[in-house]
Amino acid sequence: MLPKRIYQFVVIYLAALGGLLAIKLVFALSDYVIPSPADLWQTARTVFNRYLGDVLDTLAVAIVGHVLAIALATVVAIIGRLTNWVGALIKVAAYNLQAYPIVAVAPIIFILLGDGLASRLLIAAMICYFPLLLSFIGIFAEPVADIEHFYTMTGRMRWQLEVKIRAFENNAKLITVTAGSATLAMVGTIVAEFFGANAGIGYSLRIALYQSDMAKVLVALFLIGIFTSLYLALLERIGLWLQHKLLLPKGRAL
Amino acid sequence: MRLLAALLFSAQLVAGCGSAPPQGASEPINYRLKWLFNASVVGDLYAEAEGLFAAEGLQVTVKAGGPEKDAIKELELGHAQFGVASADQVIRALAKGSPVVVIAQLFQQNPLQWIYRPDRSRFQTPEDFRGKTVGVTFGGNDETIMKALMAEGGLGEDDLTLFSVRYDYTPFYEGRVDLWPVYRNAQGVIIGDKLRRAGEAAAFFDPAAAGVRFVANSVVTTRAILEEHPQTVQKFLTALLEGWRRALDPANAERVLAMIQEHDRDTAPPLLREQLEITRRLVRPDAEARIGRIDAAAWKQTEEIMLAQNLIPAAVNVTASLVSP
Repeated sequence: MLPKRIYQFVVIYLAALGGLLAIKLVFALSDYVIPSPADLWQTARTVFNRYLGDVLDTLAVAIVGHVLAIALATVVAIIGRLTNWVGALIKVAAYNLQAYPIVAVAPIIFILLGDGLASRLLIAAMICYFPLLLSFIGIFAEPVADIEHFYTMTGRMRWQLEVKIRAFENNAKLITVTAGSATLAMVGTIVAEFFGANAGIGYSLRIALYQSDMAKVLVALFLIGIFTSLYLALLERIGLWLQHKLLLPKGRAL
Repeated sequence: MRLLAALLFSAQLVAGCGSAPPQGASEPINYRLKWLFNASVVGDLYAEAEGLFAAEGLQVTVKAGGPEKDAIKELELGHAQFGVASADQVIRALAKGSPVVVIAQLFQQNPLQWIYRPDRSRFQTPEDFRGKTVGVTFGGNDETIMKALMAEGGLGEDDLTLFSVRYDYTPFYEGRVDLWPVYRNAQGVIIGDKLRRAGEAAAFFDPAAAGVRFVANSVVTTRAILEEHPQTVQKFLTALLEGWRRALDPANAERVLAMIQEHDRDTAPPLLREQLEITRRLVRPDAEARIGRIDAAAWKQTEEIMLAQNLIPAAVNVTASLVSP
């Protein structure tokens, strides 16, 4: 799975790069608009190590932000599944809050928390939190009637059991949503760095854009793509492992 | 076959790229500015609003710029025929083989200055930066100018603290940063006003006073347009510079202020008036100065600064791309 993800990304990246170079050739554009292969190679040699460090920094923040978002979305979704006024309020708040664009909220966060790790983490978590929350609420609020009925009728149903049943029955969906939101965590961190942080690949991208240096942007995009693919592949592998563990009968596991 | 289809699709996507420059008076011309509509583009807006381009037989649309808009790239892609770019953009583009030429220099003095509180520290020479915290936008031209100032004052990276500047001014308001880069005729007026209302004084450090004359916004086009359509370029420039001359004429101030207010509703009229007055001084420092004059010596110095800071790999001989049609 791991080589496949990387292979797919490299193919897409090279195709896009080829398209750009074809446009450059057809319209005789200068290296200022689209860098030449030689320019790109030279830039890659110059900035690769620095950008690699930046991408790893961003990825680390994205992973922590993603984990925070998953934890938060799980807690809120468990409360939001309730059919009383608390659940309704949580659901309405979740739908309304996601309407706010992060680009408008990010400057407020940076004013309040400064440009350190906390701001980057919070924005990364916020960007991947809402899609997670909406899916989690949907999953946890949907009864699995044929299983839950038995426990309800026998009076053994408790909220922990209800959550377990719904999570177990929808684990494939949960894994898909979690893996899907990993990309958003990476995007969120890069957006945060672009807007206000002073570290990470988003910050380096902002500087490259200030300098109209498309070669640096392309190198950064390559590294971001590779590491996002790696993270996604890792999450999918963990998901498969969990699925395997959960579905395996206890007797066989022993 | 699929590859051919993909290539055709790509070609369709970029239809218009590198399109031919205007052939005649009826051809639409796009003029891409460097920044959003405000007092610092007053002449550009005036030329369009008062029909000066139309009077020359040109159909010009003045388009606002922005943080990620690059007029030189738009020129090459054929999306614009004229544009405004800062000198560092022009020099970087020349270093990468772009066929850009400068046909007028709008600001005779760079509006980029550093605001500070004079009751706390005085900044008259770069030596005064020693031990202070100075804001710069890393990657921006203010970083280049500040590093040139540091070199001028014999200061190294350890002699002061460079603070990464972004969109919010909180670190400056809180006093954590001593000097903050601003465009003197835009944010400089607004922040100065805020400080005044908070009972504080504001002063500005002008790099030109320390001998660093880094050129600011200039009007650019491509060499192909200049050579193939010299009359269009001449007409465009005549209308544009007349627009600037009339917009900065104090006799037209009320009309001009009303015009800017239409585009910039968020700035209070008294501040707009102050911005206009400062713009007048930056574009035309003395009554004798010709609007749009290209200061070749300042361009040369700008190139030397960028070369010294390794922002370009080799000299580009920028003066060869300065053209006064």
